[in-house]
Amino acid sequence: MKLDLRGVSVTLDGHPIVHEADLVVDDGEFVGLVGPNGCGKSTLLRSIYRALRPAAGLITVDGDDVHRLPARQAARRTAVVAQETPSDLDFTVAEIVFMGRTPYRADAAGDEELCARALERVGLAGATERIFATLSGGEKQRVLLARALAQQTRLLLLDEPTSHLDIRHQLEILHLVRELGIATLAVLHDLNQAAAFCDRLYVMNAGRIVADGPPEQVLTPDLICQVYGVRAVHRTQLVFERLKEER
Amino acid sequence: MTGATRQSPAQTGIVPKRRRVSGFLLLIAVLAVAVVASTWLAVSIGAVHVALPQAWGIVADRLLPGVLTDGGARTWTPVQEQIVWEFRLPRALLALLVGAGLSVVGAVLQALVRNPLADPFLLGISSGASFGAVLVLILGASALGGLSLSAAAFAGSLLSLALVYTLAQRSGRLSPSRLVLAGVALAYLFQAAYSFVLQLAQSGRAAQQVLFWLMGSLGGARWHMLPLPAVVLAAGVTYLLLQHRPLNALAAGEETAVSLGVNVHRFRLILFVLTSLLVGVLVATSGAIAFVGLIVPHAARLLVGADHRRVLPVSALLGAVFLQFVDIAARTVNAPQELALSIVTALFGVPFFLWLLRRRSVDRAVSVT
Repeated sequence: MKLDLRGVSVTLDGHPIVHEADLVVDDGEFVGLVGPNGCGKSTLLRSIYRALRPAAGLITVDGDDVHRLPARQAARRTAVVAQETPSDLDFTVAEIVFMGRTPYRADAAGDEELCARALERVGLAGATERIFATLSGGEKQRVLLARALAQQTRLLLLDEPTSHLDIRHQLEILHLVRELGIATLAVLHDLNQAAAFCDRLYVMNAGRIVADGPPEQVLTPDLICQVYGVRAVHRTQLVFERLKEER
Repeated sequence: MTGATRQSPAQTGIVPKRRRVSGFLLLIAVLAVAVVASTWLAVSIGAVHVALPQAWGIVADRLLPGVLTDGGARTWTPVQEQIVWEFRLPRALLALLVGAGLSVVGAVLQALVRNPLADPFLLGISSGASFGAVLVLILGASALGGLSLSAAAFAGSLLSLALVYTLAQRSGRLSPSRLVLAGVALAYLFQAAYSFVLQLAQSGRAAQQVLFWLMGSLGGARWHMLPLPAVVLAAGVTYLLLQHRPLNALAAGEETAVSLGVNVHRFRLILFVLTSLLVGVLVATSGAIAFVGLIVPHAARLLVGADHRRVLPVSALLGAVFLQFVDIAARTVNAPQELALSIVTALFGVPFFLWLLRRRSVDRAVSVT
């Protein structure tokens, strides 16, 4: 499984948002996409899962142009955990996770088993009959992740999966995704977390990808100053680690 | 001991499904019985009383002469037979069709715009259909190029839905709040438009007829009016049931649906045409009946949850029974005068709507969208 973006440009309402982005995610890689607010990260991600059609460039997953694949086929290759909170209709956790089977035909016998395992994997095996809307922010993200797992894709896209979560749940989600070993492209806000969890990073600014590579090479004080307009200082600071026995 | 064979939820899988499935089937069975029972009652009740066994006999005798009645011993008068067969039965069947249709449309629209307060009225579809129908009724079919009542109502509902859809779109995204606001605005526009046509119409009598019909009435039901709504409803419900997964995905959100492999633009277009068609056909036969499409899907969700595989059939059956009783009430409460159906549905609908507004989850839904 390989995600490959070549010269992708996206415009919204005639405004160019992303300019000629090149980006690659290889099998099993956890790649981060960082940059200031409004730099076009989410827009680029949306063009990969077909919510937007790029004005120019080519996006391929496993060698096939995703915008030429039938919708169903594309959804069997790429799953998304986006920011949108699903539904004001009271779906249960089980029903939300079952939605992950939408790209597949009919109600196969294995579906139930698959969804059960996905929920188990995110540590919510007992929550099937709970109403999604009543869950905490961390639980909701985990259910959405379970839905993405039920989709059985080999590429996972995450759009700020840890926003609105407290520090413990942020770490939990990121660890979970890391352990999955699926090719992952994640838009992340927190540079420290991006550095800690990602194999490689792409940095976007004003619609362009301005740097890429391993975190330690990319996140230099110079680049951060140039992109975010802040001075990065190394200081002794608290480092948060997940307790092993938790969950 | 059955306890020994019972497994923990983690072992049995995601849902204690067997229990839920049998509960669902039981509910469907109960509703199906209610559909038959309420229809039987509707055929029997009225100015000319026909006892229940006789009403059964008349219908059975017509359907299968001599088979279902004991040797064909007729215990009813020709007048009773005419009233039951020519007037009450088609009316009762139309009530079932209209109730089921409006409820299914409501359920679909609520998923489509992700707003629990959506219904054909709120989005201006019914007003558009009414406008088309009023044009035909007042100006006559010839003035509109020979358009039939159903076709005009369908054209009106499709026009209003297309307008609402266009107005609500921005940056290629559909905003639920804009959709609802555009719908409300257009509903007023179409109401103003048909009020204008009504005022222009010189015949006060025709205007009064139209006005009554606009508030919903099944009084004109005849056999020949049944096939079209029946076929459209059956085809629509079949299609929707086959599409329950995309429908669920769409209810969860546009982007979610896209990421789950739903061709959202095409699917939404199909749903728009389908709902317009249903509303057009139903409004053409029975006028605009308020609140059914709002109340019934909610009741269905309270019973079976949000999954459309369950919501759609339960909504259809529940809506059919509901409108049957509403029509019985409309005929009997103020007899021999008939009440407009919207007056009766408002009696249930308004308190329900207010209760819905007071629920926390809806507060959240409205503020979020």
